[in-house]
Amino acid sequence: MKPKTKKIITLSIVVLVVLVITLLLYKVAGKEPFIRTALSGLTLGSLFFLVAAGLTLIFGLMDVLNFAHGSMFMLGAYMGWQLYTNPTFIFALLPHLLAFATGVMLLPLIKPTLVRMKLPEKWVNAIPKITLVLALLLAVFSFIGFDILAYAKTAMVAASIATAGNPFAEITPQEPFATYWIRPVLIFLSGLLVAIASAKPGNKQEFAVRERLSKTLPVPVIFFSLTILALVVRESAPKAVLLMDGNLRFAIAVLVSIIFGFVFGQVVEITLIRPLYVRPTFIIIMTLGLSYVIRELVQLLWDPLAYQMVRPPFAAQPGKAANLLEWFQKGSSTLNIFGVTFPTYRLFVIALGIVMFIFITILMTRSRLGMIIRAGVQDPQMVEALGINVKSIFTLVFALGVAMAALGGIGAGPFLPIQPLMGDQYQTQGLITVVIGGMGSYVGAFVGAMILGMARAFGDYFALKYSLSTAIAEASTVIIMIIVLLARPQGLFGKKE
Amino acid sequence: MLDKYLTKPGFGAAVKRERGFLIFILLMFILPFGIRALTGSGLNEGVTKFWQGQLITFFIMAVFAMSYDLLIGYGGILSFGHAASFGGGAYTFALLTKWWAPRFLESYRVMLGSVNISEGIVLLLILLAVLAVSIIIGLIFAATSIRLKGTYFAMLTLAISSAFYILIKATDFHQWTGADEGLHGIPLPVWLNPTQNRFTIYVVSLLFLMICYLVMRRMVNSPTGRVIVANRENEDRMRMIGYNPVTYRAIAFVTASIFAGFSGALYSIWNMSASPTMMSAVTTVNALIMTIMGGMGTLIGPVFGAAISQVIQQFFYTWFGARWPLVFGILFMLIVMFLPYGVVGTWRLQGWKVKQGWQRFLDLFKAKKAAG
Repeated sequence: MKPKTKKIITLSIVVLVVLVITLLLYKVAGKEPFIRTALSGLTLGSLFFLVAAGLTLIFGLMDVLNFAHGSMFMLGAYMGWQLYTNPTFIFALLPHLLAFATGVMLLPLIKPTLVRMKLPEKWVNAIPKITLVLALLLAVFSFIGFDILAYAKTAMVAASIATAGNPFAEITPQEPFATYWIRPVLIFLSGLLVAIASAKPGNKQEFAVRERLSKTLPVPVIFFSLTILALVVRESAPKAVLLMDGNLRFAIAVLVSIIFGFVFGQVVEITLIRPLYVRPTFIIIMTLGLSYVIRELVQLLWDPLAYQMVRPPFAAQPGKAANLLEWFQKGSSTLNIFGVTFPTYRLFVIALGIVMFIFITILMTRSRLGMIIRAGVQDPQMVEALGINVKSIFTLVFALGVAMAALGGIGAGPFLPIQPLMGDQYQTQGLITVVIGGMGSYVGAFVGAMILGMARAFGDYFALKYSLSTAIAEASTVIIMIIVLLARPQGLFGKKE
Repeated sequence: MLDKYLTKPGFGAAVKRERGFLIFILLMFILPFGIRALTGSGLNEGVTKFWQGQLITFFIMAVFAMSYDLLIGYGGILSFGHAASFGGGAYTFALLTKWWAPRFLESYRVMLGSVNISEGIVLLLILLAVLAVSIIIGLIFAATSIRLKGTYFAMLTLAISSAFYILIKATDFHQWTGADEGLHGIPLPVWLNPTQNRFTIYVVSLLFLMICYLVMRRMVNSPTGRVIVANRENEDRMRMIGYNPVTYRAIAFVTASIFAGFSGALYSIWNMSASPTMMSAVTTVNALIMTIMGGMGTLIGPVFGAAISQVIQQFFYTWFGARWPLVFGILFMLIVMFLPYGVVGTWRLQGWKVKQGWQRFLDLFKAKKAAG
């Protein structure tokens, strides 16, 4: 049988099964509960998809099972929530991060010169180690006396005040510039030392092309000017952001989450995962350790409490909209869908999931990057042989996956309690989704996520109806996974190895 | 690396081979008496009791981690469902002791001469049930490994263990399992009660550690164990030679599951309770952390790992406050990055360097003496 016909058969079987089950559920549950539960299922499915899409891409391309994905989902929610309720923390930390990045970004500029240096072999081995230790020391020095915890805690206070309508009461005054300026300088030097260490001065196995300044200079210059900008607006920006319209602020929060996820993903891939590609089991263990550390860090910064993020204004006005148009005009918190009252924010989450699915589909099928990723899933060695830098593609895909998880986090923020363990459940479900859909297949991730979301929602509904505990809903996803695995070990849309 | 363990057969050679471990067991046995002599408190009270408690947890977790090492280190099987065996053993023990044993003791009495041994018989029967349950759980995991490999398998084990976890947490069975709170106040006979007779439990768990270690060491060095290791290295080649990898994986799973089940049962005796946490992925990850820190595929490594993690739990809290796991997590990541073979594995690989350095240092000394 041709693979294409086989694919079509699988698809039609799945569609048939879904239709039969839908009809059955419709009959048993009745119209209104059915619509309500199905919409809740779609909401959950969207979030599962946002988590699973990253997981499946990362696994498909580089065989990495990222057990820190749930923590990254959680971090995305925290970052967005920080910006939305009180951005003091983010703006206080921004100059540090940008200054460090400026230092690191100087790498392509200094590498050709450093590599060509003639050094005794002793020094070639010792310099990277020494510089790294120095960089760590400088970084530690730059943070001594910098009260990160206080900045982090402001949003905790603001979280209660923002609901009362006055978010400005608790903006902490920041350190005066006269004593502050040394910190970015120190951490810039630290970043520079990291760049020197990774350039490996005098190493004869390294190779670097001397490029024109017009190619290497712009990136550090951009980062440098961003650092200056961040330094200037350090104190005024939090107020300006809080004065903005709520919807705009929410959009910025989403953007910040995505950017944060992207950068964080890149950093994690380069520093923690890249050295371990030779030992695949250890990557899993490393990501487990990473998720542990992230969770503890978040608990250190924001205490192990659950926070409630305020819904953005476009889905927070009291009242029920009769149709979509009315919702867009008034921003009502609930909407009438076929006689069922449903929260509008959840519709937004559903839309988010579908938009991201379309985005990924276009990215994977229409762009050059998608082509390389699909080729890389098939055969990474061949792609590398064709002269494509697979390492940087790995980094990019990892960052993309993490960014999507972070987007899921901020999307879930306004209707889930924001707490250190919020990602765990989504990670487990995301893993199950990936297994059901087939590793490496984004279509599979979407279908699997929707199936799981529905199973959870209807499981909860029937558990409530027949006064059982919600354990059935939780177990249903595992049961579905076991059935799928026994019938098709490679998942619904996976390729046989 | 293990070849040196295969050379000499016989009991005397075995004792000589494991002399370090046996000395360690002996020291541990003497320790409570030593503390008693130093502080003057009785064996079942005060400081002695406290330190015994710490060590009991260490012994039990060491056995659990060793059983995990059988899977990940020797079998090369990354399973995230090992806590199911641990929790399964614990819950089997707790449920039977709480609901079945009292009824049995009410209606029957077994006498051996004039001694009432019915409590002992009940304990034995319950332990047999623990054995049966552990074997069944091990077989479930082994059965899933027939069709799936690698990452898929790891995820399926995670899913199965989470199914067990959900089952034990389900409020539908609240009256038996206690759902979220777990089972508390298991009625234990006085001679086995950890609050009254801690020294008994101490000796029992110490003996448990010793027996489990020796049995596992024997198993690993046996032909079966060698085949399990071969399965880790190259499954296709093993199948060529004529071994069935599924059978040997099943053996690895069932053995590991039995040891984990018994350590779970002992843990529930020691805590007089069984809680859902014992079945959650956190417990598996703990075993994983201990195994990695000590060194995979060394068997003695997980014991070290358990000791390290116990010590860390003790002291990090006082050093770093409530957020000590942050420091612990960073330490763990550093170990994964820079000491991938753990403490014991790295020592075995690099130990000769240290020895050489020490020898050179001694030689320097001698040379100076000779010159002087």
